[in-house]
Amino acid sequence: MIQEITPKQRKKNSRPADIVRPQEGLRLPKPIRRLQRQAPLYALQGLTELSASLKQATGRDVIDLNRVMDFVQFLNKQRDLARRGPNYAVDDFGFDPQWTESFLDVFMVLYRDYWRVETTGVENVPANGRALLVSNHAGVLPWDGTMIKTAVFAEHPHPRHVRALVASMFLGMPVLSWFLRRTGQTVGHPDDTRRLLERDELVLVFPEGVRGTGKNFKDRYRLRRFGRGGFVATAIRSRAPIIPVSVVGSEEIYPMVGDLAPVARFLGLPYFPVTPFWPWLGPLGMIPLPSKWRIQFHAPIHVEDNPPEAAEDQNLVMALADEVRDTIQQGIYDNLKLRRGVFL
Amino acid sequence: MSFPPLSRVLVTGVSNPLGAEVARRLAPHVPYLFGCDVNDPIDALEGMDFVHADIRHAAIGKLVRQLRIDTVVHLAVMVDSPHDQRSIHETNVIGMMNVLVGCSGSSSRVKKLVVKSSQAIYGAGPTDPSFFAEDMTNFDRPSTSVTRDLLEMEQLITEFALREESSRVSVLRLGFRVSEDTTLARYLSLPIVPTFAGFDPRLQLLHEDDAAEVIVRAVLGGHPGVFNVGGNGVVLLSQAIAIMGGKAAPVLPPYGRWMARVALKALARVEVQSYLADVLAYGSVMDCSKLEAAFGWKPAHSSRAVMDSLARGKEVEVIDSPSPPQEYELQVYLQRRRRNARNGHRGAPALEPHR
Repeated sequence: MIQEITPKQRKKNSRPADIVRPQEGLRLPKPIRRLQRQAPLYALQGLTELSASLKQATGRDVIDLNRVMDFVQFLNKQRDLARRGPNYAVDDFGFDPQWTESFLDVFMVLYRDYWRVETTGVENVPANGRALLVSNHAGVLPWDGTMIKTAVFAEHPHPRHVRALVASMFLGMPVLSWFLRRTGQTVGHPDDTRRLLERDELVLVFPEGVRGTGKNFKDRYRLRRFGRGGFVATAIRSRAPIIPVSVVGSEEIYPMVGDLAPVARFLGLPYFPVTPFWPWLGPLGMIPLPSKWRIQFHAPIHVEDNPPEAAEDQNLVMALADEVRDTIQQGIYDNLKLRRGVFL
Repeated sequence: MSFPPLSRVLVTGVSNPLGAEVARRLAPHVPYLFGCDVNDPIDALEGMDFVHADIRHAAIGKLVRQLRIDTVVHLAVMVDSPHDQRSIHETNVIGMMNVLVGCSGSSSRVKKLVVKSSQAIYGAGPTDPSFFAEDMTNFDRPSTSVTRDLLEMEQLITEFALREESSRVSVLRLGFRVSEDTTLARYLSLPIVPTFAGFDPRLQLLHEDDAAEVIVRAVLGGHPGVFNVGGNGVVLLSQAIAIMGGKAAPVLPPYGRWMARVALKALARVEVQSYLADVLAYGSVMDCSKLEAAFGWKPAHSSRAVMDSLARGKEVEVIDSPSPPQEYELQVYLQRRRRNARNGHRGAPALEPHR
């Protein structure tokens, strides 16, 4: 219940305003400063009127004001982030949730409007407690990771942050190392996986690794080898269920038709893709194609029912890894059937 | 506990600030306290006998035997030092060897050895796990000279501990510290801090108080083994710079460490060691759960608190001329306001909460 405050109390609790330091340097005249302050509001008013008149003229929503307001909110969030200065906390892995959430808005646009992702089975993701999400990996750049993160955050009744494990090579690259750490990713090291799971986090792994992202377009939707089953052993040791995730649509964003291995070796990359657009069109070739995506979260496989010693049993570990792999592969076929077309 | 009480303790490297602090804290607990260093002691301590001795010479072994020392606290380990590579190697490896010579053999009475090591032993790289446990040192990577020396030093200690089963050996890997005279503190205190373009590593820091405290606890209690000692939590490099009131300038090239080090020396007059340059690119964080389990104690200051205390020190330090008290308080107030305004606050916190 909100407590009523009498004017007397308010006066008692009030404190005089701080003396604000006058701005240094040139100050513009007052009317211009007022205009500066109110310009965003005028712009929004103008946009509203324009949208109304356009709707009258054409009979359709040409300017979607909801989207405009989303954008304004995004700007406000960024301003708030800039204002916190150094007064924020990151967790021990360098994850900054508030900062990440502000960027999820950008990924939300891709999720909703660009790739029109349809997510099913998100109720299989637990609302609290640990779980290991295991997904297929495709597309030259790891957009599927961002979309799985966005799906869980946006669709789940209890929004959670997914912590993906990335190849250590990317954490050595400028900008990427900073961005990945800040948004909650960490090195794909068994020790890190264990620590994240012990903190009851949702961890996302791509057992295929760069073998999955760097595969040719003609091999699309065929799963590569699932590592050596290390993810199953880690899940058994950390007593976390495995949730297989099938992603459909990520294969078509960059149809990779070739790999320039010598260039890749020179640049220290795992592969150097050649698509119909890259590197021929320069930076334009990096724009992913707007394929239609489907993400399915499968029912959890309760590997934590096994005793911890079972993690040493290579036979059982490989059997469980195969089970996870088959579930994902089957899910991919199902979702491919449900999809009307590549771009529809 | 089941070991004989301490009677004769030798502290090497007692003339550096940490050694002096450890000696000061040990003095009331120890009947006979000896300190040795090549330099004169930085402050006079009544309960301590100071000996001028260079651990790089074998004489130190004789000294340990002659003084009938039973506990050696070896703090003469150079990590963050302006000296050249060669003398650091001499001190860390040869010095350790000489001290161990004094401690080993049946004629030696040494029952306990506490050695200061450093977080620098792990180095820093993109392929490392996010947290270093005590057993994660031998990575196959071109390590820096300080890292190599520390690894060699700890190798000697491990061999000694295997050979002399009756003595208790604790190795404390202290986290990076930011008191005024460390390289890291000088780097973070720059008004414009050149950082590696596109990197914002996590830093783990250790307060000077906690560093002295953990050494004293290791001496007074018996905790054999290797322990990581670092503050709780992490602070991002950009955050640390903002706390100090500086501006981060991402201008250093991310590849080619020596270029960055030369640039830092030319631009900012801070000579960053190569292991520290790696840390400033990739970050280094230790897992200190083993320390907590064994000592029943953990550092009182978190990494963030260490950074805040450094910033507070700087805040007071800026006022140079002694002035009347109200003038001083006004200066501090204005300073804080300016800093907060730069950090994106509206207004400033009053010195005392207004009633």
